[in-house]
Amino acid sequence: MIKAENVKKVFGTVTVLEDVNLTVNPGEVVTILGSSGSGKSTLIRCINGLEKLDGGRITVDEFDVAKPKELAEARKRSGTVFQLFNLYPHMTAVQNITLAPIEVLKRPRAEAEKEARDLLASVGLGDRADAFPSQLSGGQRQRVGICRALAMRPRYLLLDEVTSALDPEMTAEVLNILAKLAAEGTTMVFVTHEIEFARQISDRIVFLEKGKLVVDLPTERFFAEDGGLANPRVAQFLSKMRKD
Amino acid sequence: MRLDLSILVPHLGFLAQGALLTAQACGLALIGSLIMGALVAIARTSSSKWLRRVAFAYVDLFRNVPFIVQLFFFYYGLPELGIYIDAFTTGVLSLSIAGGAFASDVIRSGILAIDPGIIEAAEVSGLSRRTTFTKIVLPIALRTSIRPLGSVFVNLILTSSILSTITLNELTGTAKIVASDTFKPFEVYVVLLVVYAALTYIVSILIGLLHKRLNRDLVDGAVA
Amino acid sequence: MRYSEFTPFDIVLLAQGLGVTIGLFLATTLIGLLIGVGLATIRYYRLPVLTQIVTFITELLKNSPVLVQLFLVFFGLPAFFKINVTPVEAAVITMSGNTAAFIYVIAVSAIESIGRDQIEAARVFGLARWQVLRHVIAPQATAFAIGPLTGLLVNQLQVTSLISVIGVMDLTKIGNTLNLRTLQPFVVWAVVGVLYYLCAKLIAWLGARLETRLRAHTAWKGL
Repeated sequence: MIKAENVKKVFGTVTVLEDVNLTVNPGEVVTILGSSGSGKSTLIRCINGLEKLDGGRITVDEFDVAKPKELAEARKRSGTVFQLFNLYPHMTAVQNITLAPIEVLKRPRAEAEKEARDLLASVGLGDRADAFPSQLSGGQRQRVGICRALAMRPRYLLLDEVTSALDPEMTAEVLNILAKLAAEGTTMVFVTHEIEFARQISDRIVFLEKGKLVVDLPTERFFAEDGGLANPRVAQFLSKMRKD
Repeated sequence: MRLDLSILVPHLGFLAQGALLTAQACGLALIGSLIMGALVAIARTSSSKWLRRVAFAYVDLFRNVPFIVQLFFFYYGLPELGIYIDAFTTGVLSLSIAGGAFASDVIRSGILAIDPGIIEAAEVSGLSRRTTFTKIVLPIALRTSIRPLGSVFVNLILTSSILSTITLNELTGTAKIVASDTFKPFEVYVVLLVVYAALTYIVSILIGLLHKRLNRDLVDGAVA
Repeated sequence: MRYSEFTPFDIVLLAQGLGVTIGLFLATTLIGLLIGVGLATIRYYRLPVLTQIVTFITELLKNSPVLVQLFLVFFGLPAFFKINVTPVEAAVITMSGNTAAFIYVIAVSAIESIGRDQIEAARVFGLARWQVLRHVIAPQATAFAIGPLTGLLVNQLQVTSLISVIGVMDLTKIGNTLNLRTLQPFVVWAVVGVLYYLCAKLIAWLGARLETRLRAHTAWKGL
């Protein structure tokens, strides 16, 4: 279980997150929505320890991310997929995926490689396993990024706007894989602009507005007139996104 | 006033020995410079302020003091400490320390040019600092800095001529001997000049090829 | 038991050596500037054969050891041309030529950094080529070149230490003398090193000041 309690994060003079409370239970798919600058990515980066909290507490399976030794354990249990892929450019797809399992989880190389190739095959990249990131399209790189996160067999998958840098065709490729993962019961925390997709796969949707978590509802309730849409900011946001 | 280069012919074997010594000294000093340069570059980009200061002081010092002074410092000074090493080793040591100062600047630029997102991906998957440096940061930084590192190597080759002042018979040292043996210093030194220039030219070309080869996977090429 | 201790007179010796080093450095820098900028100007006028020759010689000087260049001038020229060359003369000739080669490259790059549009505009208004050079190119190229030039000069200061090998009584040669007499290499070479270091820092600081002044006219002054 991921638990965020009274989380506060400040950048200089700007309070990016204020008093955020969020719980993610195993097996849930939670989507975080909000306009730019609302603090969505920052929240994910606080959960995986890339940003330090200025107040409050986040625990992943009872491990406090503010404590270095416990953060290491927390990181073993969560995998992150980035908006800009962040693949290691000097390594092939397989090498990208096997690096952490070999170095951190101490898995034998042969076993890690086999699993990597299986993962790549499951996302349709079986024949590109030995390609370098520079030889792959954006959508393919992101699929490798997903495999890289999955290779650590994480309990929780953190996805930070993973399709925002892709064109519509590649976006569809990646979303298909994520839908499959959700259906298989993977716990996912999802920051995205893809409202329709979120509606299809999420169990819960939370809405961030200027650093505050203002709505936290099950998906159907979120899109109901008397539920999420009752909040004027949510309604405004959704209509704006639908127009684009 | 005739330029007669044929007088050099009987001495070519001797000169070749000198060239070999230069090659050995420069080869070893290159490795030494890379190791020193990488270590100092890591220190200069570390989060420890003290480490950064010490590393900066080292680079600042060895870049603003003439190499011959550094060389004499070690050559005459080390025996005082009871450390008796031969001229070749002293020369390689000195070249490595000076070369390391220049190399660290280059490698540091290479490290700073790495997309921070890549480091974040490594951090988040639980890789230790040491593993991140050896498997991700350094391999990328070295690949992108091949060309400027090539300049450092060329500089190393030219600076190695100064080792002749501590009785080392590398290329310049042997040339001096040949010049006094043949009484034809002009011919000898003109040829020597051209040989060094040709050597550095060849090295530059090889560095260019190495750069292309190591970076061909890093540059965005054809997309599937 | 020490062969000989340090005496107050040694400070005078060091000062003399430093004086020779700085004097030679300034003289060769000046000559190098004149020759280097002069050659770059010739290239600006695009004289055909000369440019190739100049490029060949400057590349040769830039990519060979200065020590070998010194030996060539000091040992080679007298033997070949049957003339007399004193250590100081050889040092001046070699260092000036070497500095000129590097300055030539910096000057050419600085001139070429000026956008063609400015030059074309000036020519269209009827300015002769030398006028364009003087009023449009020179000021901007100078401001552009100060940075690389400062770096070069700091380096050339270090290079002057090699003239000690052919017998010029510069700071390094004094260091050798003191080292041989007092047999205290750590003290001697540390002091010599510090003196070179301070001079290098002075040059770097002056260069930075000059650059700020020259670039002042392009600084963003705000609305």
